[in-house]
Amino acid sequence: MNTLNVIDLDNHLQNQTPQQILQFALGEFDKIALSFSGAEDVVLVDMAIRIRPDVGVFCLDTGRLHAETYQFIEKVRKHYGIQIDIMFPDADAVRELVSQKGLFSFYEDNHQECCAIRKIGPLKKKLLTLDAWVTGQRKDQSPGTRANIPVIQDDKVFARPGEKLTKFNPLANWTLEQVWNYIRAYEVPYNPLHERGFISIGCEPCTRPVGPGQHEREGRWWWEEATKKECGLHASNIKGE
Amino acid sequence: MKITFVKKILSDGSPCKKCADVIEKLESSGQMARIDEVLVADERDPQSPGMAIAKKFNVDRAPFFVVDTGKGEPQVYTVYLKFVKEVLEQQTNEKDELKEIMQNNSDLDFL
Repeated sequence: MNTLNVIDLDNHLQNQTPQQILQFALGEFDKIALSFSGAEDVVLVDMAIRIRPDVGVFCLDTGRLHAETYQFIEKVRKHYGIQIDIMFPDADAVRELVSQKGLFSFYEDNHQECCAIRKIGPLKKKLLTLDAWVTGQRKDQSPGTRANIPVIQDDKVFARPGEKLTKFNPLANWTLEQVWNYIRAYEVPYNPLHERGFISIGCEPCTRPVGPGQHEREGRWWWEEATKKECGLHASNIKGE
Repeated sequence: MKITFVKKILSDGSPCKKCADVIEKLESSGQMARIDEVLVADERDPQSPGMAIAKKFNVDRAPFFVVDTGKGEPQVYTVYLKFVKEVLEQQTNEKDELKEIMQNNSDLDFL
């Protein structure tokens, strides 16, 4: 699949349902897996299982998740009878970080160093084994950083040297409300933290419940100021003719 | 092998800070000598060479590198340390590469 195909496919898949996008993705790639965070992206697991019961699913266990999230991941594993590949951070890298900066350094500088070690490291390791992966990323999760996420993209960040890695975001155009409508309609199991006001769920120290009218982004890394997206190229300039 | 480096000028005419950081690293390490061509992606001008190549390879950020070995499709690198490791075959620190990925890909926040 070359770059041109991906652009054309994205234009086509933008109008498809998440299930249709998954159908395409799972039909196109054998070495493909779903990234499951232990939150509302469980809908992807539910959809994918109906298409390919043996679909690969992996979780990034940062070591700092809520107890409820661990219990939920186990519940999903048993509910669907699937194997979930739990990816762990490099122990030496974590030890070095917490030895030098303590267990809560992210409150003092920012979350990126900790996330790099606890989340991106294991993600990179997992993606080196795949030709494609699927995420639950949605445009409405963060208007500042996800407003332009495509349904299918050429993942240049994590591709193996000289090879292609394709990333699918089947829920890109779905709203949080649509996700929850699916969860209710299909009686999909969900993380009990959602009943306590958590919309977006990540690591325990970096996640908090939000109130009515608050955006889910306000429940994550709330002590950090919104940062300017320094590295993006204005999309309309790239796409526009 | 031809290596093209693309740096950005912001819509207000100012240079991109990340691009400046990468240029400083390329120059201080002597790696700039391996770069065959430097293109500018000027956000004020969609027809600028850097914007055109970004569109061609569907790249939505800068800086980035395009590596054409003459065999197969050119490879695009948006992570400087990945480029250094895989193309220039120089040793890099894994921790630094992961940090660079996290800093420049805020869409990964919600995984």
